[in-house]
Amino acid sequence: MFEDKSFRVVVNIAGWLAMVFLVFPVILTVVVSFNGSQFIEFPPTSFSLDWYANISSIHRIGSATLISLGIGLMAAGLATVFAIGAALVLVRYPLPAKPVLTAFLLSPVTLPTVAIGIALIQFFIMLDVAFTWYSLVFGHIVLIVAYPIRTIIASLTLSDTSLEEAASSLGAGRLTVFRTITLPQLRPGLISGFLFAFLISFDNYPISIFLVRGELTTMPIEVFNYISQNLDPTPAAFSTLYIVIVSIVIMLAERRYGIISLAVGK
Amino acid sequence: MSISIKRGRGRKYLPALVMLGPLIAFMFIFYAVPFGNMAYESLHSWPGDEKPHVGLSVFQYEKTTQKSRTVKSLKRTFRISIISTIITFIICFPITLLLLRSPPRIKVGILLVTFISLASSLIIRNYGWLVVLADAGPINNILIWLKIFEFPKRMAYSEGAIITALVHYCMPFMILPIYGSLLRIPASNAEASLSLGANAWTTLRRVILPLSMPGIFGGTMLSFAICMSSYVTPLMLGSPSTAMVSQVAAEQIEVQLNFPWGSAIIITLTLGSFLIVFIYAALVSKVMRVDV
Repeated sequence: MFEDKSFRVVVNIAGWLAMVFLVFPVILTVVVSFNGSQFIEFPPTSFSLDWYANISSIHRIGSATLISLGIGLMAAGLATVFAIGAALVLVRYPLPAKPVLTAFLLSPVTLPTVAIGIALIQFFIMLDVAFTWYSLVFGHIVLIVAYPIRTIIASLTLSDTSLEEAASSLGAGRLTVFRTITLPQLRPGLISGFLFAFLISFDNYPISIFLVRGELTTMPIEVFNYISQNLDPTPAAFSTLYIVIVSIVIMLAERRYGIISLAVGK
Repeated sequence: MSISIKRGRGRKYLPALVMLGPLIAFMFIFYAVPFGNMAYESLHSWPGDEKPHVGLSVFQYEKTTQKSRTVKSLKRTFRISIISTIITFIICFPITLLLLRSPPRIKVGILLVTFISLASSLIIRNYGWLVVLADAGPINNILIWLKIFEFPKRMAYSEGAIITALVHYCMPFMILPIYGSLLRIPASNAEASLSLGANAWTTLRRVILPLSMPGIFGGTMLSFAICMSSYVTPLMLGSPSTAMVSQVAAEQIEVQLNFPWGSAIIITLTLGSFLIVFIYAALVSKVMRVDV
């Protein structure tokens, strides 16, 4: 197909323009973060690192980031543990109403996120546990559990059951088979599922905004508040740091576990 | 006899119960019950309503379909979602074709960029668009330099800004499923079409596009659902006059403490969004004759 010159030229131009659109705001944010001006301006006029020093002036940014990390790790960890068992059953065991159960477990992703927030805050107020850290963790698990379920199911479909059969015919118990054969084969799915679950929890605003109050606050909420109240480029400096860290994590995860090929399905 | 069958069955389902049970129980308590409770709440009256009523009624839903603020925001949400999804598809399809023909190094590069955008914070990506569209930002400066405007024009805080940011946010969700389904098309299909005399464009239209339909359906459906439920993006890049449904519902809950109406608005959005996706799936499977 790509031997046709007009076709090749059009695909190249359209494809690369679209890639430029995808990276343009990121590159610009990085450039603006090093500019000396009080306001967002491009092209930049002077160089300064002031905005990086000013990150600490985002209200409660330190404690909010720590809370987001803690909530994200707990929610993603629990979601992944839940997902291992669920994915194993959904792939390996004959069970009635399997499509219904799968659809139920994966459905929170397709719902308006605000709907989950509104439903949960009314429920937590009713139980008198609203605005607690654990209610925030539970809320995040509901949202993110679909991601590890998906990636672990993908890993399981690719894994080789004959190895497990061989192990158990050689006398290994069920737990030993699971620990030494099944789990290592699931590792890419576990890692990428955990990673995406964590990133989605860490970045969540629409559920958290309903479930936090006072000292209990998260990183996205504080950054959002800063952006809506200030015009200076401090958030650009924060964004640059965030993007650098995320890029390193994704590249390491790809190099070590090949998360990209897992997601694309080949 | 019957007891032994029961026991056999129990044993068969025991591992499934132990491994799947906890998650099902968790999702029932923290997902199904809160949604049921919200639906029940939406059938109630609010003390501030004009004619508060006792017992259950669909009053809040009638209000949702009658008040101009909710009707406008429903229409706007639907319009923005359709436009954004179509633009996202048009922008992303060439990227997937590019991925198909690129050498491995470039392919991994493009996919890494896609994954990094997928993983970066939504708030941070929206902030990027606030920078791009700022009064002293690059777009304004280029247009002034080209003498198209004399003074900077306010481009952020508009429906156009919301659509731009939503398209940008949806791109990874469109690229990955379409590329996944393109990979599953055997190269011989395109070769056969070409050797039978079709040119590249006809091959794209008659062979590649129909065969990649499952991916296209997945990508467009996901983008549409994301746009329909967007909340942070219109908050950051829109104004009160461009409010989308999630914002209007959240406002009722957080500012007015009107839980019944806020619940009814968000349930209307959820059902509307499901209905459209359902009709879309039915159309795709009927017209294109593919299973999606």
